[in-house]
Amino acid sequence: MHISDGVLPTSVAVGTYAVSLALAAWSARRIHPEDLPKIAVVTSAFFVASLVHVPLGPTSVHLILSGLVGIMLGNSAFVSVALGIVLHSLLFQFGGITAIGANAFLAGVPALTAGWLFHSLKGGSLTRHVIVGALAGGWGVFLAVGLLSLLLISGGEDFFGVALIALYAHIPVVVIESAVCAFTVSFLYKVKPQLLGVSTSSKAAE
Amino acid sequence: MKEQEIRVELPLEILLFPLGALFALWVTLKLGRRFFLPREPVQRNMEPDWAIPTLDSQAGGHSFFHQWDPRIKLTALIFFMFCAASLHNLPWALAALLLSALSIPAARIHLHRPLSRLRAMVPFLAMFLVVMPLTVPQKGGDLIVTFSHLTFLQFNGRGFQLALLICVKASAIALLMEPMVATAPFPKTVQALARLKVPLMVCQMILLAHRYIFVFQHEAQRMRKGMRARGFRKRTSLETLRTLGNFLGMLLVRGFDRTTRVHEAMLARGYTGAFPQKIHFQARPGDWIKGLFWVAAGLGLLMADRWVEWPLFS
Repeated sequence: MHISDGVLPTSVAVGTYAVSLALAAWSARRIHPEDLPKIAVVTSAFFVASLVHVPLGPTSVHLILSGLVGIMLGNSAFVSVALGIVLHSLLFQFGGITAIGANAFLAGVPALTAGWLFHSLKGGSLTRHVIVGALAGGWGVFLAVGLLSLLLISGGEDFFGVALIALYAHIPVVVIESAVCAFTVSFLYKVKPQLLGVSTSSKAAE
Repeated sequence: MKEQEIRVELPLEILLFPLGALFALWVTLKLGRRFFLPREPVQRNMEPDWAIPTLDSQAGGHSFFHQWDPRIKLTALIFFMFCAASLHNLPWALAALLLSALSIPAARIHLHRPLSRLRAMVPFLAMFLVVMPLTVPQKGGDLIVTFSHLTFLQFNGRGFQLALLICVKASAIALLMEPMVATAPFPKTVQALARLKVPLMVCQMILLAHRYIFVFQHEAQRMRKGMRARGFRKRTSLETLRTLGNFLGMLLVRGFDRTTRVHEAMLARGYTGAFPQKIHFQARPGDWIKGLFWVAAGLGLLMADRWVEWPLFS
């Protein structure tokens, strides 16, 4: 869920812009300059993937995919997520232009941490990849919603109720996202393990 | 001395009026949409239309916004947006909304896109409108409305006003987005960003990502068509999640492969990290006056918001 314009206090909106810019610069420093165009093109793939809606009873939820971006891009994930947020705002008004900093922060930090989580725990077997993939996918949404609530609370005690409701409303999304992420990781492990950072030799040795 | 809340208790039946009004509004909107916005019939059990809109399909017009140097346009309007986002009082937020709403006819663009921008924010803003009146802590001077038989539902007027303020500010800024980005070709807008000292690589990445969204969207639609042809229907089930997981995996595998090919093709055509640009910007006095108008409007609203007292909306 993206924060729209006019919700956050201006100081928070501007502050998160600064934090996101710093994180994006740090993340971009980790990428070879020649590879930046590649990140841009991959971002559009993630962008389209995030438009997929998953049915949930009478309604449907759309995927957030922070976890998966982190798993597949590692440290460069923040640049990709921030770019995606800019496009979301420009094209659809999912997230306001004054809240781009906040949205990039609340989606980008979970992506980075999910990536670290995945790559430090993934081990060598398929089962372990899938379990850690589910964990990372769920964590991506969980942390994003946690940060969303924190940012909302920055508006004062009047926002406590909304922050709490947003937190509860995302519990099913955490479950769905972690399941989808696990299945995607399992698919990628079988089809193209390089994309998960698995070297082909270690898989052959298995 | 502690100020007391103002409590009003209303009979439950009175709720029928707003509910009836909402229903009437919903029916009118449903019917109105059918009459005024002829669209392809919505098929049941299908993906909602997530077609990605073209940002600059109306860039060729002539208007206040079209004939405005994009560099000054972006700076002035973004400044105005931040001012509008900082407002605290409903009347001034409504004034900002009025100004944004007027800028759409001034930009001579179709109403369709600004409306779909407003629609995109509905779920998020509805959450505030529903939750805030019921959860805002009660303070002195608040108007508390309760209904007979339902005394546990305490509707706080201040919370409602706060939520309304958020909605008005969000709409004011959202309505200004189309006049800002749809009134010049997208590459020109991005080039203007580059002239405003946004790093060149960031601009390149926005352009590239924007370009390839449409390519991957096409790819995803093709795959989806294939899945439907093989009998896949979305349900609330683990099987659906598994299929979607595989779908995403395939989309990403193809995405990464394509990325490599695109990058090689770009290198083969002599890409050195910058697209050749033949766009010239020329700021005339008129451009500066327009910019000055929006900056003054933003600052004026902000100052009025902080200093002018409204007895009704304190």
